[in-house]
Amino acid sequence: MSTIPKSRLVALAVFLIVLALFPLGANGYILGVLTTAFYFAVFAMSWDLLFGYAGEVNFGPTFLIGLGAYGAGMSNALLGLPVPLAVVVGAIVAVAGGVALAIPALRLSGPYLGLITLVSVLLLQQAIVIFAGVTGGEIGLSVPDVLSISSAVNYEYALAFMLVSGLILFLISRSSLGMILQAAGQDQVAAAALGFNATRHKILAFAVSALFSGLAGAFLVFYLGTASVSAVVDISIGVRVIIAAVLGGRRTIIGGAIGSVFLIVAGELLRPIGQLSTFVVALIALVVIVLFPDGLLGLLPHRRGA
Amino acid sequence: MNSTTPRLAVSGLHKRFGGLIAVKSLDFNLYPGEILGLIGPNGSGKSTVMQMIMGVVRPTAGQILLDGEDIAGRPTYDIARAGVGIVFQHSRPLRLQTVLENILLGLLPDSLSRLRPPPGAIETARRIGEECGLGDVLDRLPATLPFADLRRMELAKAIARDPRVVLVDEPFAGLTSTEVHDFSALIRRFRDQGRAVMLVDHNVKSIASLADRVLALYLGEKIAEGSSEQVMRDETVRRVYLGGGIETHERPEAEIAAHKVLLQVKDVSVFYGKAQALENVSLTVHEGEFVSIVGLNGAGKTSLFNAISGLVPFRGAISWDGATRGRESAAEIARAGIVQCPETRELFGRLSVAENLELAGQRLPPGERSSRLDWLHELFPILRVRGTQEARTLSGGEQQMLAIARSLMLKPRLLVLDEPTLGLAPVILGQLSEALSRLRETTDITVLLGEQNVTFALPHADRIYVIEHGRIIWDGTPTRFAAEAGTGYL
Amino acid sequence: MLAIQILIDGFAISTLYALGALGFTLIFGVSGVLNLAHGGLMVIAAMIAWYVGTSIGLGPYVGAAAGLAVCLVAALVTYGGIVRPIENSRAVPAHERELFVLTATLLWGVMIQEALSYAFTNSPITVQPLIAGTVSILGVRTPINEIFIAAVAWAVMGALWLLVNRTRIGRRLLAASINPRALTLLGFELDQIYLFVWVIYGLLAGIAGVLLGSFLGSGSGYVPGLTGSAFTIVVLGGLGSVSGTLIAAYIVGYIETLTAYLVSPSLREVPALILLVVVIYMRPQGLLGRR
Repeated sequence: MSTIPKSRLVALAVFLIVLALFPLGANGYILGVLTTAFYFAVFAMSWDLLFGYAGEVNFGPTFLIGLGAYGAGMSNALLGLPVPLAVVVGAIVAVAGGVALAIPALRLSGPYLGLITLVSVLLLQQAIVIFAGVTGGEIGLSVPDVLSISSAVNYEYALAFMLVSGLILFLISRSSLGMILQAAGQDQVAAAALGFNATRHKILAFAVSALFSGLAGAFLVFYLGTASVSAVVDISIGVRVIIAAVLGGRRTIIGGAIGSVFLIVAGELLRPIGQLSTFVVALIALVVIVLFPDGLLGLLPHRRGA
Repeated sequence: MNSTTPRLAVSGLHKRFGGLIAVKSLDFNLYPGEILGLIGPNGSGKSTVMQMIMGVVRPTAGQILLDGEDIAGRPTYDIARAGVGIVFQHSRPLRLQTVLENILLGLLPDSLSRLRPPPGAIETARRIGEECGLGDVLDRLPATLPFADLRRMELAKAIARDPRVVLVDEPFAGLTSTEVHDFSALIRRFRDQGRAVMLVDHNVKSIASLADRVLALYLGEKIAEGSSEQVMRDETVRRVYLGGGIETHERPEAEIAAHKVLLQVKDVSVFYGKAQALENVSLTVHEGEFVSIVGLNGAGKTSLFNAISGLVPFRGAISWDGATRGRESAAEIARAGIVQCPETRELFGRLSVAENLELAGQRLPPGERSSRLDWLHELFPILRVRGTQEARTLSGGEQQMLAIARSLMLKPRLLVLDEPTLGLAPVILGQLSEALSRLRETTDITVLLGEQNVTFALPHADRIYVIEHGRIIWDGTPTRFAAEAGTGYL
Repeated sequence: MLAIQILIDGFAISTLYALGALGFTLIFGVSGVLNLAHGGLMVIAAMIAWYVGTSIGLGPYVGAAAGLAVCLVAALVTYGGIVRPIENSRAVPAHERELFVLTATLLWGVMIQEALSYAFTNSPITVQPLIAGTVSILGVRTPINEIFIAAVAWAVMGALWLLVNRTRIGRRLLAASINPRALTLLGFELDQIYLFVWVIYGLLAGIAGVLLGSFLGSGSGYVPGLTGSAFTIVVLGGLGSVSGTLIAAYIVGYIETLTAYLVSPSLREVPALILLVVVIYMRPQGLLGRR
């Protein structure tokens, strides 16, 4: 593991302190935007662990997010479980779903794996609509409990969650396990020749990605106060997660956070042009992907790597 | 070789891919403390044998006993854990990790929960890196390393697992002669440590001094076994790799030199990433001439032809009919008259013979197209018979004839033929040779032929170039070749 | 009577799906691209046809022509502005190109959807049928448009067959789907062939989009579903197989129609999705696929 220069650590600490103290100066609206951005950051970082490290493309990250969100939401609304327990349930459902998707999906290759992840989202969407009685269907499911009614507290929760998740995901990516995942993702045969059962490792990567996506989805539900298809399941949300991760920089973990904040803040700044904001953000993302495939972090001159 | 119990005992190893039998009931042993060379041209089955030992390909039948335990058909990671290591031909480093960390990868246990390397692993990785000559670059990233060090790193990764058997695929591809010397020393050290080492390569010459024993394969079967000298002198091996006796029929040099220079290749080098496939190659082809480039599989003929056809970038200069090559596309170059019939033939498998030929003749006016087709049918009568058959159902020899006919349909000024005899039975070679003679006698076509089979390459040629390890090492007339270079060739 | 209605409606829908899916499969077979903006192209054709024909009032024929033209342009933008730059880009490593193209076309599809929603709101519209009136088939009143649609779709598919099998450039297309490298060796420029294929694709998607819009309606919300059914059909039939695509289109079209009539219109897409999942796991190469 490489050592990070002390000056960078100090700068990082200062930055984190500023972030934590934000609510003292900023208004509720900005805090709200950043809160959503932080949860989105966890979506993107989990996606990057799966793609950037295990080399598996998940075109439907909202399958995992949606499972976590609805799992937690339904436990709270229908079973009356308190928030912490409901969040745990959501996470368990997401991991179970992730592993259930992974085991058969990893037998496929190339475009088929991507297609099946896309199809999983479509099926979840249809299932939610069909069982509207318990899921709230297209309208969504309101949850009685929320994390907090104070935007400052919600902000701190989201920030803390993002930092902890980011740290764990980053440490995994730089650990021995991360190296094995990378090898498995880059060339399965070469990894096997070194004695690694690549499939098992990839299933683990799916499970970890599902855990954090599911947790973030669950927390998001208790922040928004409702679980709905348009907020956590829709394909366009999934597309944005992928864009955020690629925009920030593949195989960096942190890139996911940077890309998400960029996307969400840009989306808000463009709000005055109304409906076209999604269009413009998608356009920017498309341009970046085509011209700078290594993303924002890839533009930094001192970035070491291929 | 100091033990009589084989470390690896292969018996009845058989592999069939659909209708093609790649390896035919092969038996051989690999002993600890020896270096075995498994050699054969493309299509001989040597790569398939290696892949079956490593578990990348599942044998159709047969046993592979590793110290008595049958590993045939087991998944690769299992075989690796049992003690078989492999150094692949292509390096696959982890780009974000240092050389030390890459070697460390070989020392990590297959665990799902380990976040830190096992105690002592880093020191071991360092030691292995130094043993493999990487001591100075352990903290650098792979992208900054020269080609030879990347290959060393692959060796180090494989050795890190302390394997009982080491497979090395094309050990010296892309290395300079000094680097070959260093690598050989490393591989010898592995052998002296008591491991069983098997090298897989195209030809004996490159591994001759290193291998204790050599096994030669052809079309999936063993054709010779013994020391390097024995195999190089073996009649069957020479016949199959080189062809039989040597005939020459060259036209007088003065007559050829009178014609204008059609193709001029000057100091051309080709790189694939960091590996150098061709080094400062120069040659000239006059109009109407038949030039043969003779060299073993992997010597660089295909890279040269691909540069001439515009399929790979190159350094140096190529000029065609007096004009220097600029930025023309490969298709433009083909239209300008340089038509390549590649080693892989590149037929349209699902189209019929007639359709393949018709596609090639699309740019010709209809009258010319049909007369040219008639001429080709005379040259290769079997194509008329097989007209409506799908190209992929033809035999190897018929496919080769179709490929050549298709190239001729384009009215090439220069026909580039890459290893037409690869994998073909001797009787087909006769037919092909006859067709080439007729071509040479009845038309004024210019031909550049790349061949390993000297018996096939010599009779038609006006001039010979010999290529080895990416460099031209000899050129002259066929008669001189027969006298001087023929015997030491293999 | 319901049976006849299902039979007729199912036939019309399946034929239109076949037309659209053929374009999708053609692009995949020749150019190797799974265009996830496919639904977007079809909806553009329908929306422009409606806008020019009904909203501005130039009549259904002018509208259809306009829709076709704009869809063609959009298809060429997809090829020239997105697919080709990524395929030729040196910044993208070779093994990740497919992923980037898939993501970029997905993004482009989202952009098209949002732009259409912005320009025309997301309320569904119906394209004015080219031929008005109804006729009675076996006791069921059927819009003549439906028959017209099926006839046109089959005529176009017939023309496509003639193009690929009986013309020189069509044969080059076929060859490109088998071995593009060989075509280069024979002196044919692949770029020209790819351009040609995308033009054909744009026309196919445009015709399918306009006709579908006159039959089932259209709107920005239709975009994901149309892409979804196209790749369901193509994967079911076998990526790269034309006859497979045709058969699969009829299977999916009839399953959807049956579901819409017998269960509920809002669930029409579900059985085909489930079928897709089953196929991907049981027989990933599809019914007749060869890759």
